[in-house]
This record gives sequence, C-alpha cells and structure tokens, in this order.
Amino acid sequence: MSDDPGRTREALDRVAARLLDASVYERVGIAVGSTGLALLIGLVVVAAAGHNPLLFAQQLVVGSVGSTGAFTRTLRFTTLFILAGVAVAVAFRAGVFNIGVQGQLVVGGIACVLSILWLAPFVPNGPVGGAGLTLVGLFAAVVAGGLYAALPGVLKAYYGANEIITTIMLNFIAIGIVGWAVDGPLRPDDARSVRTEYLPEGVGLPSLVFSDPNFSILGLGLALAVVGVVAVGMTRTSFGYDMVTSGYQASAATFSGVDPQRTIVATMTLSGMVAGLVGAVFAIMIQGYFIDPSGIGTYGFDAIAVSLLAANNPVGVVPASLLFGALESSGSHVQIHSDVPVQLIDGIVGIVVLFVAAPELFRMLAKRTGLGGEKR
Amino acid sequence: MTADAPPAVRLEEITKTFGDVVANDAVDFRLERESIHALLGENGSGKTTLMNVLYGLYEQDAGTIHVDGEPRSFDSPQDAMAAGIGMIHQHFQLVEPMTVLQNVVLGHEPIDGGLVDEDAAREEIEALCNRYGFDVDDHLETPVEELDLGTRQRVEIVKSLYRGADTLILDEPTAVLTPQEVEGLLDLLEELRASGRSLIFISHKLEEVLAAADRITVLRDGHAVDTVAAADTSRQELARMMVGREVSFERPAREAVPGEPVLETEELSIVGDRGLERVSEIDLTVRAHEILGIAGVQGNGQTELIEALTGHRVPDEGRVHLRGEEITDVGRRQRLEAGIAAIPEDRNAEGLVQEYDLVKNALLGNQTVPPYANDGWLDWSAVETHAEEIIEEFDVHPPDPTARAGSLSGGNQQKFIVGREIGHDPDVLIAAHPTRGVDVGSLEFIHDRLLELREEGLGIVLISSKLDELRALADRIVVMYEGAFIDEVDPIETSDAELGLLMAGQRLEEEAERETGDRSTLGETRPEPDAEATVDRRSGGDRER
Repeated sequence: MSDDPGRTREALDRVAARLLDASVYERVGIAVGSTGLALLIGLVVVAAAGHNPLLFAQQLVVGSVGSTGAFTRTLRFTTLFILAGVAVAVAFRAGVFNIGVQGQLVVGGIACVLSILWLAPFVPNGPVGGAGLTLVGLFAAVVAGGLYAALPGVLKAYYGANEIITTIMLNFIAIGIVGWAVDGPLRPDDARSVRTEYLPEGVGLPSLVFSDPNFSILGLGLALAVVGVVAVGMTRTSFGYDMVTSGYQASAATFSGVDPQRTIVATMTLSGMVAGLVGAVFAIMIQGYFIDPSGIGTYGFDAIAVSLLAANNPVGVVPASLLFGALESSGSHVQIHSDVPVQLIDGIVGIVVLFVAAPELFRMLAKRTGLGGEKR
Repeated sequence: MTADAPPAVRLEEITKTFGDVVANDAVDFRLERESIHALLGENGSGKTTLMNVLYGLYEQDAGTIHVDGEPRSFDSPQDAMAAGIGMIHQHFQLVEPMTVLQNVVLGHEPIDGGLVDEDAAREEIEALCNRYGFDVDDHLETPVEELDLGTRQRVEIVKSLYRGADTLILDEPTAVLTPQEVEGLLDLLEELRASGRSLIFISHKLEEVLAAADRITVLRDGHAVDTVAAADTSRQELARMMVGREVSFERPAREAVPGEPVLETEELSIVGDRGLERVSEIDLTVRAHEILGIAGVQGNGQTELIEALTGHRVPDEGRVHLRGEEITDVGRRQRLEAGIAAIPEDRNAEGLVQEYDLVKNALLGNQTVPPYANDGWLDWSAVETHAEEIIEEFDVHPPDPTARAGSLSGGNQQKFIVGREIGHDPDVLIAAHPTRGVDVGSLEFIHDRLLELREEGLGIVLISSKLDELRALADRIVVMYEGAFIDEVDPIETSDAELGLLMAGQRLEEEAERETGDRSTLGETRPEPDAEATVDRRSGGDRER
C-alpha cells in the first residue's frame, strides 16, 4: 500500500476527471493520436525483430487499400466489424456487458443457413426465390441471435447472474454445439471440409459495384442502415433514452419509471439481434455455407475493442471498423507477401487495440469506481 | 484560555480562484483556542474551499495561514495533519469493508516486529473513547459498511484524534444525521472543546449553528461577511447575512380548504428486503389542497412506504388508490403518467443523471409523457423549452441548459428536480426530504412553491426528518414509528418535545395532550431536542441500503 494514499487517489482522480471531461473533439484526437503512436511503436518492433519497417509499412498500406482487391477485402471486414461493433456498443451504452457477440453471431449464422436450406425446396429457383430466401435467412439470424442473447439477459435481470460470465459461457456452448452439428448431422457426405450444404444458387448479396465475390455493397449498406437505426433509436426514442439512461445511472432511470429488468432483457435482445446479423452476413455474403465456428474470425471479441474505440457510440463504430477492417485486411496481405511472421502482425494489431481502446476503458472504469466524479 | 495566546488558526486574506470563479476573496478567519467556530454560508459560498486550503488540499493564490501563531504552508493534508489539523469530510473517507480498528489506524499503524500491533492500537483507541465518552470502541471489529452514518462519523472523528489533531474541521457534519444523532454530535463537540480542542464546523443550517457554536463567520459569494458571537445574533440576522436580503420565516395563511381524497392507502403492509415487516397496516389519506406530513426517525419504514406510493414497490398486503381507483399493482411509469410526481430521497442517485446536461435531465421521468414524447418518439425541442422554463421559473444557477447536472450545487439541483417533477401538472406529489442539504435561499423558495402547489389543488405527502419543515408546511402530521402510524397531530399545537417523544415510539398521555393547548406558541421557537435525545438510535444498516 502506498504510504500516501490520499495523494495517489487525488492524482488518479485528476487523470480520471480529465478523461471523463474530454470533449468529442479531444476524444477523436485521442483516438487518432493513439492509433498513429501505436503504429509507430509497431514499426519499431518490426525493425527490432530484424525486418525492414519501411517495407512493412508499405505492405500495410498496399494490403489494405493498395488494390481493388485489397480495398474490397478491407470493406468486407469493415462490414462485419460495423455490425459486431454496434452489437457491443448497444449493450455497453446501456451498462450491460455483452461479451457474447461471438456466440450470438454463430447462432445467428447457423440459423440463417439452416432456415434457407430447409425452405429452399419449397421456393422456386431464380433471382426472386433467391432474394426471398436471403431475406428469410437474415430474419432467422436476427431472431436466433436475439433469443440467444435474451437468455443471459433474463438470467441477469431476474436471477442476478453476472452477464459477463454467462455470455462468455454461452459462447463456448454455441461454438461447441454448432461445431458438432456442422461436423456431424449437417455435414454432407461429399464434403471434404467441415461445412454444411452450399446455399442454393441465387441466395446471396450481389456484389454490384466491385466484382469481389465475397463482398457486396449491399452488405455494407445493411450495416450502415443498422448504424443509422440504432443511432436514431438511442437518441430520439423513449426506449433509447431509457436504455442509455440505465447505462449512465441505473438508480435515476429506475426512479424515472424505467423497469430495469425489462430494459436489461430488451438491451441484450437488441444487441443479440444485431450480432445475429453478423453471422448471417458472414454466411450469405462471404462463405455461401456455414463452417466450423471455431474457424470463424473472432469478430465478436474484436468488436469490443471497436466499440471502445468508438466510445460506444454507434456512429463512431463506422470509422473504428474501417481502421480494424484495414488492419485485418493488411494483416492477411503481409502474412503472404512478406517474411514478417504472423504473430508479429497480431502483436502490432494488439498494440493498436491497447492504445486506442485503453483510454475509453479507463473512462468506463473511472465511471464505475466514481473517480473523477462529483468533486468540486 | 488567555487573551494573549495566539489563536489556534488564523487565516489572512486567503484568495483562491478556480479559473474565472473566485471561490474565496481575501477571506480573514480566526479560530480561537478551545472554541467552536461555525462557518456559515449557502452552498457554493466558499466554506469548503476555505477549509480545503487550511487542510492542504488546495493551495491558496494569496494570503497566509497561521497555526498557533506560526505562519505555515501546507502542500498536502499530511502536512496539515502533522500540524495538528484534522478534517472530517462530508463524504466519509473510510474503507467500508475494513473494520473500525483498521480504519482508525490506517496509515498510522503501531508496528511491532514488522506487524501491525492490533492490541496496542485497540488499547489506545479505547483510551481515547473512554476519555470522550465515544461508543466507537464497541464496534472496533465491525466492518464500517455495517455501521450507520452517525457511528461512521464518530469513527472519522476518532481517526482524526488518533492522529493527534488539536484542531478539527467538520464539513457539514449534520447533513447525513437524524435529529437525534445531530444532538449527540453537538454534545460531542462540546466535550471536545472542553478537552482543549478547537473546532470548525461548516454548516448552512441556522439552528444548528446557533445551538452549537461560540462564534459564527458568515460567508457569501466567497467573502467573509462578518464574524459574530452566537449569543449576540439571531436566526433572522444570520439568514440576512447569508442570503444578502431579508428572509421570511413566516408562512402565508392558507386559503383553500382540503377537498376530495386523491391518494389513499388501505391497510398497507410491506415486508422489507430482509424479511422484516417494515410497514404495517398503514391507512393514509391525502386530499386535494392538503399537505400531509410524515414525521419519524429515519429507518422506520418511510422509504418502503414512499416506494409503495410512487410505484417502485408492490406492497405485500393492502391497497393503494388514486382518486378512488385501485393502483396497487401499477408500476412507476403508469403512476407517473397518471399524475403521481415524486421528489426522490436521494437526489444524486435518483433525481438526476449527473453526467447528463439539464436538457436531458429535464426529460427524466417525462420520457413517455406528451409533449416530450409522442408514440415513443422524443421531441427534444419541447424538452429543451421545458428545461429553460424550469431554469427560469426556479431560478436555477447557472442558468445554462447545457450545464452538466453534476456541476450544480445541491440547492440548485434540488430546485431543478422540484421544477421538473411538478412540471407536468400532477395531482399528487410525494416529496421526500425536499430540502435536504439545501441552502436557506433555496429552502425558502422550495417551501413557497410547495405551499403554492397546495393552493393550486395538489395533494402532497411530505416526508421529512426536519421538524421545523413539517411544522411550517404540513396541515396534518402523522408520526411513523416501526412501520406504523402511531399518532396524528396538529402541527401548530404540538411541541417539538412532544413530537420527539412520539418519534421515539411513546404515545402521548391524555394529560400531555391537554397541556398542548397552552403551549401553542411553541411553534415559532427553536426546536427543543431534549426529548429527542431519548430516542434510541436505530442500529445501522437500515438506512444504508
């Protein structure tokens, strides 16, 4: 223990107050500054490991925006990060810590694929049938993701179970069971890899602008539309005010007539619905079938960093996702086109996450512990 | 005490600014040895800032501090403590999960062979407690979180004494205490003075200051208005110095007579969170044009009763009616929409979202009420207009709707809450401690508004631990003790002593009741807390939930 607890506390208090009081511009500045600083440190690490940092930097740029292919790959990841980031942001804003986006997206994804596969025999072939099935798949994913997230919501609201623990455990359950099903009953006899049947012809999002088979501007549009709906819902509706107020100060929300239990369940459900969409977009736009969920990228977890970087603001999630999408995209490029080992790339992404997300994390911690609070 | 001895503390021309705000403007202050000196002023007048300068928390921009005649400068509270100055903050600085003993010795542990010598510490603390008649040594092994606020405060005082403080600063020490605990504290201060300590006592409550202090320094807007001897001044004079204008303690005579019952309960019983019956078979009626006062020592079931009235809790038995319609199971939101407004007990936690600006706070509680919300969609321009109206009508400072709620002083926060709650034309107002921690100017304002609302036809339930407030506002006072209404009395014809007895659970004898006729003038006199001192303190926890 410090022999000077009062002073340590004061110093902490000042730092916390500074962070809590930062204006929007300052926070954007902090985010941009820390990203730049993190990349710089990353280059130093690369140089220290004996690689050419300039070449590495060049590869990063080339790998994210250097070609049409790289650019659409960046946008593809960005789309997933936007949806997953919004799912996390919705919950965090309401003071509910949904760490289960990964599990919810797996459940949403498999629900999407299964509903399409089951209904396909009853639907005429062709573009109209395909579009119809696509919509059904998206809808099924939203419902399944929402229900899967409502479960920890109910457990928290009515039985006091900590949502951080239950959502993490439900991640394992979703990944385990879906993994078994995809490798077992759902795996076609002729499949060489662990996967479901292919989605029928015509199901999917047409790429329209770019000729990348794994990216559609419609997918990105869907993600941006979700951002818009959530942002408007949070700021301009009674329900959004209830939710955000619960996140800021649950006692005041309750006194103002908010039913805290229902709000927790509703928040988790909404968060899970958006998470379910991530799985659907992954299955429909990128894969065309569903794979072993342990092989799906950790979008649900990275989304926590995306959301923190965006200060849990759904609109802020868009630029944050662009950054993460670009890093993810250039990571896969550097892995192939340079001798920098993949672990190092992950490490650098880690530094970026640490730098950009840490200030926001401290803000949330400071709020929870009351540092930098109501002193005048 | 000799005339030549230097004062315990002398502050000369202390100036302290925060940005453009001058919190202290060349303030002089002189604390005589072995005296109790009150620092009186409204919220935001600079009392706490001045003391934080003395305690080394802030560094003054100009001016000097003398302790025992020596000029001193303190870089930190540690320096101030070394000079024998201790401060008990409004928000206690105790580690709640740790025991009283651990808290007292924290940072000054007696060490024996590298280990904390708990026995030595215990002995020393017990000696201290015996000397001053503290009861703190009964709880040495109890975690602080299990103690009531009054006991925690005494732990803080013992902690300061243990560190060798000769001069004690108490910042609003009575804000968190019940009337009985206040009385105990004031006795304790006397005791400390008698043992040679000098005390500074920050307050904005006139009665207390008059009862406890030898000398009173009044601060207003960062200036020291005057220093007077308590014996030579009056409530009226102090209030004028504090506010800067005449303050009326007279209430206008009521014009309207009570009308139809608006809110009623029928044999309401509530089993509390710990399985104990907190409210038993309460029948309550509030009429239009009426203020019903509920008196009682905190922790006698008022909180649970309030929750059943506002809709935050479903009672275990009994019914609640609004204008004759049963609403027992109706939740807070529907009750709010039906016209039951409420001023919360805890304005910081429940009344305002500290991080929100005043516009967003103006929506709190109104988020489903037209015109601020239509079919679930919010109309922020209507909310903003509402916020501006509240600010103007209730004289909220600063008059800036974009100010963060947490940055306002307590009085202004409370005015804003009162303004918001009565903004959508309710039929019933549940007002829990509407002026707790509020300065005199705001208090007068809120009282006047409540009386106006009564004239306009509201039925008001007023829960307060301040007898003078109940007396000034209520048409009827019911006394709540251990969950039941044990008596209903007339606010004018009942003395504080009698109310105190009732609050302690003793029903008034027939005889005593007859006597009250002769004592009807007592209403204007200062509270006589003698009787209240007999009220047994309810053991902790209850009020800390």
